[in-house]
Amino acid sequence: MKTMRWLLALAALLLSGALHAAETGTALKSDDIRTEPFRDAKSVAKLATGDKVEIIKKDGGWYQVKSAKGRGWVRMLSIRKGDARKSSGSASGLLALGSGRAGTGKVVATTGIRGLNEEELKAAKFDEAELKRAESYATNKSAAAKFAAAGKLAARSFDYLPAPK
Amino acid sequence: MKNTTPRSHSQTRHSGEGRNPALLNNWTPAFAGVTKYSFPLLILALALISNSALAANPFEQELFKAIKQGVQEKVTGKSATSVEEETAIGRQIAGNLLGAAPLVKDAKLQKYVNNVGRWVADQSERPDLTWHFGVIESNDVNAFAAPGGYIFVTKGLYKLLQSEAELAGVLAHEVGHVIRQHHLKILQQSKLLDLGSQALAKNVGGGNDKVQNLIGSGAEIVSRSLDKDAEFEADRIAVVLATRAGYDAFGLPAVLQQIGHYAKDDGDVALLFKTHPHPDDRLGKLGDAMGERFDGVKGKTLEKRLYRVK
Repeated sequence: MKTMRWLLALAALLLSGALHAAETGTALKSDDIRTEPFRDAKSVAKLATGDKVEIIKKDGGWYQVKSAKGRGWVRMLSIRKGDARKSSGSASGLLALGSGRAGTGKVVATTGIRGLNEEELKAAKFDEAELKRAESYATNKSAAAKFAAAGKLAARSFDYLPAPK
Repeated sequence: MKNTTPRSHSQTRHSGEGRNPALLNNWTPAFAGVTKYSFPLLILALALISNSALAANPFEQELFKAIKQGVQEKVTGKSATSVEEETAIGRQIAGNLLGAAPLVKDAKLQKYVNNVGRWVADQSERPDLTWHFGVIESNDVNAFAAPGGYIFVTKGLYKLLQSEAELAGVLAHEVGHVIRQHHLKILQQSKLLDLGSQALAKNVGGGNDKVQNLIGSGAEIVSRSLDKDAEFEADRIAVVLATRAGYDAFGLPAVLQQIGHYAKDDGDVALLFKTHPHPDDRLGKLGDAMGERFDGVKGKTLEKRLYRVK
């Protein structure tokens, strides 16, 4: 158990290192790089699908990026983090280690927590006591509204989005 | 009509059925979209209904009544599954899911997700459901919704979250499935008999074998793939509900960005990737739908208030 804890700590350390390093991204679609995180800000350059960027910071729905084409702000949803769709990489290997898995999708008996594959879900047996516990944590409208107010969250109206064509 | 011997009773039923052919004719156009397979089922159901007066057992009577109603729903296209039925089905699924993965034993965490989830759900058109939220013990990265408002996030997914707005976005996606009844619709389509659940809803409390029969094995329904469009729809609903609740709209997109990092063959996301479109596709579709609509709409991210799990 002690070894496992060390491994987890090591994995966490390595991961946090990786997260603090500049993140890379790839353009999911062509979009403008702008001087400011606003739609009508001046366009500096245009990213093409697949262009690599370095993500500097985030502001609402925008990423400040650095790319071969220029530096500025791009809509967050035009960028995916990482290089490309990975099939398998060292990062996932590390994550797999951290979660007690061997990367095969099979659970290694170190954490004592099982995964949730379809077979396990199919075989799942009704647990009344656990369900009652879950239900005991339910809140109500007025308590939730109080909680929201404590976080200075104000409800506002906003229309549902139509499906894109 | 005062004579109520079994024979004359059944004759009465028979003469009552004399009206059915006409009704069936009227219904025919509505059946155009129904598969060949379900038509005999409907006839069978009608046959069962015609016998309902003979069913001595009150439970069966309820069931027949519900099936009859179900047939009418198929015809009118209206879903009349009551909130009680919906909740009974969802409760069974939730109990099964918890049988596979129990709650994280942290009352503060569970109360916290209920507050965030309820506040988000209250911005939807179904604020009157008794919403339940929970974090379950699993390293998998996933979240589940069951009819009636039972929503669970795995600890694996929860640990990826960086702010309360991200949690709100994830929960709002599941709220989207519940308010549009995506899983309930699968159940309604998969079996005609499932509409008999109205009779079953009255047996709530404890594991219910009859409800269980309707939902298949265990909690498998939560792992069944929904239509891709249902996932995209839930994503669109999520950013809107988060915004209505006062949060930054980009919580869910940020989580999708994060999950997109995982390799497809990573065990922790295997089920999620199998049952959902790839996060990149979801981001692309969501980006198209959001367009410029959220420009200038500021919201809270509340990084500091996010409850951290040990």
